[in-house]
Amino acid sequence: MITYSFKSPSEAVAAPPTLYPHDPSLEHYRALAGNGGIDVLDNVRNSVVVSLGTTLATLVLSILAGYGFARLRFPGSNVLFFATLVTFMVPFQALVTPLYLLLDEFGLLNSLLGLTLVYTTFQLPFGLFLMRNSFAAVPRSLEEAARIDGCGHLQTLVRVMLPVAVPGVIATGLLAYFTAWNEFFAALIFVNEQERFTLPVTLSVIAAGALGSRNWGVLQAGVTVTIIPCVIIYVLLEKYYVGGLLSTLKK
Amino acid sequence: MTSVLLLAGGCGTGAQSSASATDATISLWTRDTQKEFINLVADAWNESHDTKVEVTLVPAADFIQKLATSATSGNAPDVASIDLVYLPYFASTGTLEDITELADDLPYKDSLSPSHRALATYNERTYALPFSGEASVLIYNKSLFKAAGLDPEKPPKNYAEIISAANKISDLGPDIHGFAIAGQCGGCNVFEFTPHVWASGGEVLSEDGSQARFDSQEVTDALTFYRRLYTDGTMPAQSRTDNGTHQPAVFQTGRVGMVPLGAFYTQVLKQDSDVDFGVAPLPGKNGGWSSFAGGDEIAVMKNGENKKGARDFVTWATGEQAQKVLADNSITPVRNDLTDEIYVPLDPRNKLFAEAMEKGRTPYSTVEHQLFNDPNGPWIQMINKAVFGGDIAAAQKEGQEAAQAIIDRAPQGTNARGNR
Amino acid sequence: MTPPTGLGRGAAPRRTPARAGVRLAGAALTAPALAMIAVFFYVPLVTMLWMTLHDWPLLGERRFVGLRNYRDALDDVAFRNAVLFTFEYTLISTPVLLVLALALALLVRRSGHAARFFQGLYFMPVVIGLAAGSFLWLFLFQSDIGPVSHLADRLGLTSRNTDWFADKTSALLVVIAMVTWKVVGLQMLLLLAGLQAIPAEVEEAARVDGANKWQTLRHITLPLLRPTLALVLVFSVAGSLLAFDQFFIMTSGGPTNSTITAVYEIYRTSFIQFKLGLGATFSALLMIVLVLVSALQLYLLRSSEPGSEP
Repeated sequence: MITYSFKSPSEAVAAPPTLYPHDPSLEHYRALAGNGGIDVLDNVRNSVVVSLGTTLATLVLSILAGYGFARLRFPGSNVLFFATLVTFMVPFQALVTPLYLLLDEFGLLNSLLGLTLVYTTFQLPFGLFLMRNSFAAVPRSLEEAARIDGCGHLQTLVRVMLPVAVPGVIATGLLAYFTAWNEFFAALIFVNEQERFTLPVTLSVIAAGALGSRNWGVLQAGVTVTIIPCVIIYVLLEKYYVGGLLSTLKK
Repeated sequence: MTSVLLLAGGCGTGAQSSASATDATISLWTRDTQKEFINLVADAWNESHDTKVEVTLVPAADFIQKLATSATSGNAPDVASIDLVYLPYFASTGTLEDITELADDLPYKDSLSPSHRALATYNERTYALPFSGEASVLIYNKSLFKAAGLDPEKPPKNYAEIISAANKISDLGPDIHGFAIAGQCGGCNVFEFTPHVWASGGEVLSEDGSQARFDSQEVTDALTFYRRLYTDGTMPAQSRTDNGTHQPAVFQTGRVGMVPLGAFYTQVLKQDSDVDFGVAPLPGKNGGWSSFAGGDEIAVMKNGENKKGARDFVTWATGEQAQKVLADNSITPVRNDLTDEIYVPLDPRNKLFAEAMEKGRTPYSTVEHQLFNDPNGPWIQMINKAVFGGDIAAAQKEGQEAAQAIIDRAPQGTNARGNR
Repeated sequence: MTPPTGLGRGAAPRRTPARAGVRLAGAALTAPALAMIAVFFYVPLVTMLWMTLHDWPLLGERRFVGLRNYRDALDDVAFRNAVLFTFEYTLISTPVLLVLALALALLVRRSGHAARFFQGLYFMPVVIGLAAGSFLWLFLFQSDIGPVSHLADRLGLTSRNTDWFADKTSALLVVIAMVTWKVVGLQMLLLLAGLQAIPAEVEEAARVDGANKWQTLRHITLPLLRPTLALVLVFSVAGSLLAFDQFFIMTSGGPTNSTITAVYEIYRTSFIQFKLGLGATFSALLMIVLVLVSALQLYLLRSSEPGSEP
């Protein structure tokens, strides 16, 4: 796919396909960079902002609530926890119109904040699930020790529980980041101005040709641009992640 | 609960965060497929006016949904460039500003594309102005015609001649095909297939749009014609599942003899390939010809903020300056008083597109999208089943029933409802 | 995965004021997340249910119609076919995914560089978006220009011109292959986490008692893995029942509408036929089915919840 994206437009649709570009060309990337007055860099920045925002919000909220659900149980906490899982049971397409009207009422349409809030909401259940399980696996003795040292609930969470639950934190964060980075449908419907589009929407715009045709070369270049950052982040954090997992096991 | 109450009360009032922030800008939405030229049009306006047009390109597949969703709240753009087939729908829902007087005052109103004018009219009021033209024709590869012993200056004039030419071209080699269609693309096939029916004297909808005519004899003949092209092995295997991406791409590689496509595609051909191509009218069974007169119209949105700017812009968009930008980018202008001057001289092949805009037809229906453009809808399913499955009669019967059911369910019929 | 509950249980009841503090803290910590979900999920959900009671066009006036949408939905042939196809897809893809994920998890379970490398490798596609992955595979399998089609031609398996998407079975297979590639890593990881929670001594003890690998897996490992399996199964089935993007992008519902899923039909009803009320009704029905199916799975695979004391 990466090699395809470097082919010239005519070579990209050649049959039989060539294995590597015989005539390497940056034309598809040039098409990405300066197409129809779209500033792709703007859209990359939007995607980064939304994805990081979603990751941060998801992490903070699911760490707090995950700990609450795992260890600080209160009447109804089980029911409430299962109520969050209902989000997995509803097709997002069915909620688009209600969400649109809701965001409109809050004045959050056409804003990256609105998009971040929606993404965070739909990432939360899985984050809660992961964090609750991570915290539940921490031996109680650790927590008790901290309590005896006079730590409050939040201090216990931050100083004792969180370091042990790092793998869960990373998994939650990565999933939130990747999901937000790749999401298309909500980004398309809830954002109206081109300079606030996220990358997937822009790529779809760029790869489109007249009357539903599709430019395979530009599309490959676009898919490459979407995938590469994810893979890089993943490869960078993967070691840390596996290492963290192993260290928990040794305890 | 407040949101529920708001919903029950009708359209949102949302005054905040509109697409057009001030009077100095005019927001314009269009499909991403127009990206090659729409910004040039906007630039031309911006250079000669104090107000600025801001273009937003929307993915074509989601354009209606996005425009409709925005229209229910206060977030609509000021101006939208809409595929003309959707105008009856948008006009019937009260989304567009009535611009009848503005349209009637244009000195060149009678020179505007007749199909565009018809589609923009709902209950005798006008809701949009013609903007860009797009007519379907038969595009053929002259080199392959020569190689197959055909005269590249004498393109086929009826079904039998197309079938014969397609076979001769397919015989040139296993990777060479005579004819390619996009067998899973509704929009493509209303554009490319219906002209054969019209050219043979048939219809796909009754005049007032209240009856489907999918089961007519002329449709049977045209389906039989496509079926024959397929069973003779002149179509590439991908034609069956092509949702519109493959057909132009494969012609570009120089391995397909004929494709029914439009003016926009000649621009792609000139830019990205060295195929020596000719253009010919889409013929009927025994001769004659027709075309699908398509393109975009440009409308003032009722919920837009900058109405004055919007009116000025749509008027200007039918003017010579804007139309010339289109012509320079291989887009057919919608002013037949200008085409001989600004369009035809650029390429002799443009003459056919200009003529096709005059002669061409367009189905009029508030449910056009559900009937024809839906990639899973009755029109394309009928064609796909008939051409690749073979049971033409059954496919037509099923298509006719499904289409009629959609028309009957459409609220209030097609042209009967008053303007809300 | 039975947690050592004795300690916690013995300690808590002794100090009731602390217990009240715990409750308060629990409620406070979970409140922000629950508030988000309430506002951005439950409010729209209620709106959606409200929509099911209306003739609600995308544009134009909406009318209260009571339960008529539900009657129409149950009579809708297209929706019924879509639901049947969705079940078919789920029934095929779920076992494929689960077995493969479990096999991979067992393979990469041991420590060491190689195992770690493969863990990372199998998980990699998970980070790629479903849409990006669909486009990638769609391209790979394009006849004429796609590399896989070309490869199959070279190997003499099929012709380069074979159109993989012209036949329902082969189209479905390509989609399932793509989904497996994309999702199996995540399932593997969840199962791996479950496997690693099983104390090594338990399995060792079994082996000392003379059980072979297969017996250990069947009688010791799998039963202990049950809560994780249940979790993975529920996610997997819910994901399959809500499938949309992969079919929308790769098959466009074809050939001849044979690969339209339930959510695809919801999308069509809402945004192509513009009948939001009926679309919402389909969604509500699908939601009921999903809740029932998930509850059934949890019931069948029930066991002590990890970390849930009374």
